[in-house]
Amino acid sequence: MTDADERLRTLFAEDAPPERDLFFSAEVMSALARRRFLENLAYLAGLALLGGVALWGAWPMIAPLLSVASPALAPVAAALTLAAVAVTMLGRPVAAMLGLES
Amino acid sequence: MSPHATDDALVAAARAGSSVAFARLVDRHQQPLRAFLRRTCGDWSLADDLAQETFLTAWSRLGSLKSGASVRAWLCGIGYRKHLTAARTRGRNRVREAAWLAERPPSIAPMSDERMTLETVMADLPLDQRACVALCLAADFSHAEAAETLGLPLGTVKSHVTRGRARLLEALGDDNDGR
Repeated sequence: MTDADERLRTLFAEDAPPERDLFFSAEVMSALARRRFLENLAYLAGLALLGGVALWGAWPMIAPLLSVASPALAPVAAALTLAAVAVTMLGRPVAAMLGLES
Repeated sequence: MSPHATDDALVAAARAGSSVAFARLVDRHQQPLRAFLRRTCGDWSLADDLAQETFLTAWSRLGSLKSGASVRAWLCGIGYRKHLTAARTRGRNRVREAAWLAERPPSIAPMSDERMTLETVMADLPLDQRACVALCLAADFSHAEAAETLGLPLGTVKSHVTRGRARLLEALGDDNDGR
């Protein structure tokens, strides 16, 4: 490398950003997190829309079956819902009490 | 472990979804990418915006990066194409941009006369010539690496670098034979 090239390189180096720039890196990672969140949101919204359309399309077939099965299924569904709520609300304190939670 | 080997491991982890690995890639390559874009755009704030967009694009295109390829060159290539797109958009608003450039504050660091001359001449160079100079004279890219990064023929890169170097040295009052 010639002196002239070295001189140019030195001049160019004066405007170089710092080797580590935590602020810039944090900005990039937060922009990335925002983008991933929006992508996930779009994916889930698409799935929900698809599910809604499928349900709407199949509703004429599902509705008669539901009306026949609902008297038998309603108590089971209610019991399952109550059980799920109880596990969600009480699960952690009980596990902690039994020393099962790390 | 060589830098390439480290990059390969980080790229593999980032492809598998590791944000931590990608954050380390950002840390490792933000300086050369931002320096290249600053020299190519001349506008530090725009360069940093483009660098951020470059990393976001890189995240979604990690799968297209060949194993063993230089991550730095790949990122500079994405950044250069983003700069070209931004320059095309700005070209439509050239008058407005000229007014803005006249009013914009100078770069953050105080500049010597030589630095100011360098920046003025760089701004006058055609865009692809400026990019070649920024890669081959300011960073340590080989001509072949720069050609691949910018998508230009090798001969074009060599002539751009030679012409750009001559213009810079002439403006700086240096003789051009390298002594």
